[in-house]
Amino acid sequence: MGLTVGVDVGGTKIAAGVVDEKGQIVATSRRESPAMDSEAVEATIAELVRELKKEHAIEAVGVGAAGFVDVRRSTVLFAPNIAWRDEPLKAELERLTDLPVVVENDANAAAWGEFAFGGGKDFDDFLLVTVGTGVGGGIVLDGQLHRGAFGVAAEIGHLRVVPQGRPCGCGNLGCWEQYASGSALVRDARERVAAGSDDVANLLRRAGGRAEDLTGPIITEAAQDGDAVAVELLSEVGRWLGEGIASLTAVLDPAVVVIGGGVSEAGDLLLEPIRQHFRANLTARAYRPELEIRPAELGNKAGLIGAADLARQD
Amino acid sequence: MAEDGTVVDVLRASTPGRSDAPEVVERALVEGVTTLRQEHDVTAIGVGAAGFVGLDGRVRFAPHVSWRDEPFAAKLTDRLGISVVVDNDANVTALAELRYGAAAGRREVLVLTLGTGIGGAVVMGGAVRRGAQGLAGEFGHLQVVPQGRLCPCGHRGCWEQYASGTALVRAAREAGAPEDVTGPEVTAAAGTGTSWAEAAFAEVGRWLGVGLAGLVAGLDPELVVIGGGLSAAGDLLLDPTRAALADRLPGRRYRTVPPVVVAACGPEAGMIGAATLARESMGQVGGTVGGSSA
Repeated sequence: MGLTVGVDVGGTKIAAGVVDEKGQIVATSRRESPAMDSEAVEATIAELVRELKKEHAIEAVGVGAAGFVDVRRSTVLFAPNIAWRDEPLKAELERLTDLPVVVENDANAAAWGEFAFGGGKDFDDFLLVTVGTGVGGGIVLDGQLHRGAFGVAAEIGHLRVVPQGRPCGCGNLGCWEQYASGSALVRDARERVAAGSDDVANLLRRAGGRAEDLTGPIITEAAQDGDAVAVELLSEVGRWLGEGIASLTAVLDPAVVVIGGGVSEAGDLLLEPIRQHFRANLTARAYRPELEIRPAELGNKAGLIGAADLARQD
Repeated sequence: MAEDGTVVDVLRASTPGRSDAPEVVERALVEGVTTLRQEHDVTAIGVGAAGFVGLDGRVRFAPHVSWRDEPFAAKLTDRLGISVVVDNDANVTALAELRYGAAAGRREVLVLTLGTGIGGAVVMGGAVRRGAQGLAGEFGHLQVVPQGRLCPCGHRGCWEQYASGTALVRAAREAGAPEDVTGPEVTAAAGTGTSWAEAAFAEVGRWLGVGLAGLVAGLDPELVVIGGGLSAAGDLLLDPTRAALADRLPGRRYRTVPPVVVAACGPEAGMIGAATLARESMGQVGGTVGGSSA
């Protein structure tokens, strides 16, 4: 199969790209996402595909969508940011585009992209941890994407790491993503400001003096400029990530762990604390070879490239 | 074991102590196998060992015997002149359950063995997945409490300190049981409505369910099978486990909560699974036994 289209359906934007068999993006197109109107989202995806189809010989479409996708990769069972409930997305899109369509959870699609063409390309057993608003991920074992029995695997952000801990949007307390995500980073920063700590003056200045305007990228930038508080905030998130990855390594024994998502743009400011606390918490560390913890290589294109490649594999 | 999974003959011996040299265990095994071979035409041997077993059959670390990076499979193959495969005890238990037990015909399964600690195996696409080094499935060392109870692995807050036979005895004592109470006694007492025993099962079952909610979120199995000594308690343990899992699983309204069932192969599961592994490994070197691989 030659060219396929990968579609990344986010809460605010829908991006589509033509991808070749080496994982290279040949062309892209994007639109605002009419997130709360499920039919409009489907019409927008179809429009993007038709537009790309005019210029390229496209043979199949892969769609990565945030949410639970059933194991036949055709129905979106539940999407947190789009009004899809038991939505037969594959059938609808095939009708609208006249091409074979594969639907995949966005984190799984991104994991496949990184596994096939990015940070995991030299390995068979791979874990992706995506650190953004929440913590997501993807698992490849023996070269196969682990989709689970119901297509909802790798919701690793909801591992409970603190009993009776911080409340999570999922309804539980103490989920990993409440400590190890971009949201956690920003909340920690705002809490320090609220606590009246003096050392946050520099950080606060970068946010125009308003704690509510602090963002992950602002904290990362400050850390890169040497702001001690920002460095500490990132390393705290890194500590939680490293500890959680040690747990997941006990369960899955990957050969490599790839860290993606917006917060991973902090590079070694995040990766070094992850590595340090991973080593400190890994069970039976002395009796196993150390695995690599690497940055993702495909950035926010991983989902699009992965979805396109999964459509090709199908 | 015969080809159809029937156990034809069994020989038992006590495990040598942790202080004995690796050769002592090896010698005991060789003697046992030699005795069995006098009576039966054995074509391959499988060993399930508690510990970290590498893909090459090396026992990297065993908590209860003195093996450290021991090339066990190679040594035994050499001494017995017959193919010997070694895997982690929970992995071979899972293989037995997959072929002959509670997970027969299933493809996506988590198998846990609850005893002193928690052993585990990840079944994906109908095969036991061993991970990059053969060390997958160490569920017992998921950290569930930051700075929690000390685990013999050297870390704190490991799941097996809260949801195992050891944890059950501890919970029973804390709820008023005699200091020298044993796991089977807690189970018996719970069966007759003793309050400290019921409290212990409620607590350990809840921890088991809470940990499972995380694992199920991460791995999305169709079935969870619970084996090991503690599983003999059946619903005493699994009812609170199921309740906690159903209560904690993220997205529970939009997904199927997998059933949690007791293992079916009983205390011989490890033996049956190891023999199955040996049979299925015959004629192949390495690779994934019993399933398709990419």
